[in-house]
Amino acid sequence: MTSVHFSFSSAFTLGLMGLAFHRTHLLSALLCLEGMMLSLFIALSLWALQLQTIMFSAAPMLLLAFSACEASAGLALLVATARTHGTDHLQNLNLLQC
Amino acid sequence: CFLAWMGLEINTMAIIPLMAQQHHPRATEAATKYFLTQATAAAMILFASTTNAWITGDWNIPQTSHPAATSLLTLALALKIGLAPMHFWLPEVLQGLNLTTGLILSTWQKLAPFILIYQIAPNTNPTILTSMGILSTLIGGWGGLNQTQLRKILAYSSIAHLGWMITILHFMPALTLLNLTIYIIMTSTMFLSLKSLSATKINSLAITWPKTPILTVMTMLSLLSLGGLPPLTGFMPKWLILQELTKQNLPILATIMAMSALLSLFFYLR
Repeated sequence: MTSVHFSFSSAFTLGLMGLAFHRTHLLSALLCLEGMMLSLFIALSLWALQLQTIMFSAAPMLLLAFSACEASAGLALLVATARTHGTDHLQNLNLLQC
Repeated sequence: CFLAWMGLEINTMAIIPLMAQQHHPRATEAATKYFLTQATAAAMILFASTTNAWITGDWNIPQTSHPAATSLLTLALALKIGLAPMHFWLPEVLQGLNLTTGLILSTWQKLAPFILIYQIAPNTNPTILTSMGILSTLIGGWGGLNQTQLRKILAYSSIAHLGWMITILHFMPALTLLNLTIYIIMTSTMFLSLKSLSATKINSLAITWPKTPILTVMTMLSLLSLGGLPPLTGFMPKWLILQELTKQNLPILATIMAMSALLSLFFYLR
C-alpha cells in the first residue's frame, strides 16, 4: 500500500470514526461526512492523475457536486431539527425510542 | 461504479424531502437519522470501490476482487438496507414516518442496494454473508416480540426477511431475487391494508372488525403469509431456501433459520 493510498484511507477512516462516535452535536456528524467526501475527492483526483487517462477526469468534479448536494440536504435537515427540537444536541433526538 | 454511487445518492436525496414532509418532530428526526446512515453507507461504498481501484486498477463493481474491499462493500450495502448488525436505524426511522413513506422505504429503497449485492455476490466472503443473515433473522425475531407499534413490527419483519435473502445469496442468487419480489409484494400489501385501516398500533388493529371485516381478514392472511405458513405464498421462498441449504449440507444453519422464523411468526399472530 503506497503512502498516498494510506493517507487518504486513514483520512476516510478517521472521518468514519468521527461520524460513528459523534456524541453531542449533529453538526459534527455532518462535518465528518464532509471530511469523508473530501478524502474521497482527493483519492479520485490522484487516481485519475496517476493513470494519465482522460476517461475518469470528470469523476472528481461529479463527486464534489454530489457531496455539495448531500451537505446542503444535511444542513437543511439540521435546520429542520433545530426548528422542531430546539437544539441539535443528540440527546434530544429520542422521540422514537420504544 | 461511479454511476451506481450517484444513483444511490439521488435515491437518498429524493426520499429525504418525502420523509420530512410532515412537520411533526418525529418525522424530522426520522429523516435526519435516515439521511446520516444512508450517506455514511454511500460514502463507504465509494471508498470501497476506490480502494479496490487503487489496488487492482479495476473500476467495475461486479469485479471487486480485493477481499478487504468486498467486505467493506458488503458492510456498506448491509447498512443501506438495514441488515444486522447495522440495523439499529430501521425501527426508529420507520416509526417516525407515515405509512405511505414507510412503504416506499421498505420496498423501493431495498431494490437498488439489492441489485448491487446481487452483482457482487460471487466475490463476497461467505462467512460475512451467512453470519449477517443468521444475525438478522434472529434479531428480527427477537426484537419484534416486545413491540406494540405496528411500524416497528414491520421494521423487524423486514430485517428478518432480509436476513433470509442474504443467507441464500451465496448459494443460489436467483432465490434471493425471488424472495425479494415476494417480500416486496407482501410488505406492500401489509402497508396498504394498514393505511386503509389507519392503524398504527396493535390495539387499533383489534377494533377493525366492525368497520371492514373483509379488509381485516385480508390483513390477517397477509400477516400469516409474511410468517411463512404452508398454504400461503410466503412459504414458498422459505421452503426453497431451506431446501437449497440442506442440499449444501448445512442442516444446522437451516434449523436455526427455521427457529427464528417461528419467533417472527409469534409476533405476527398477535
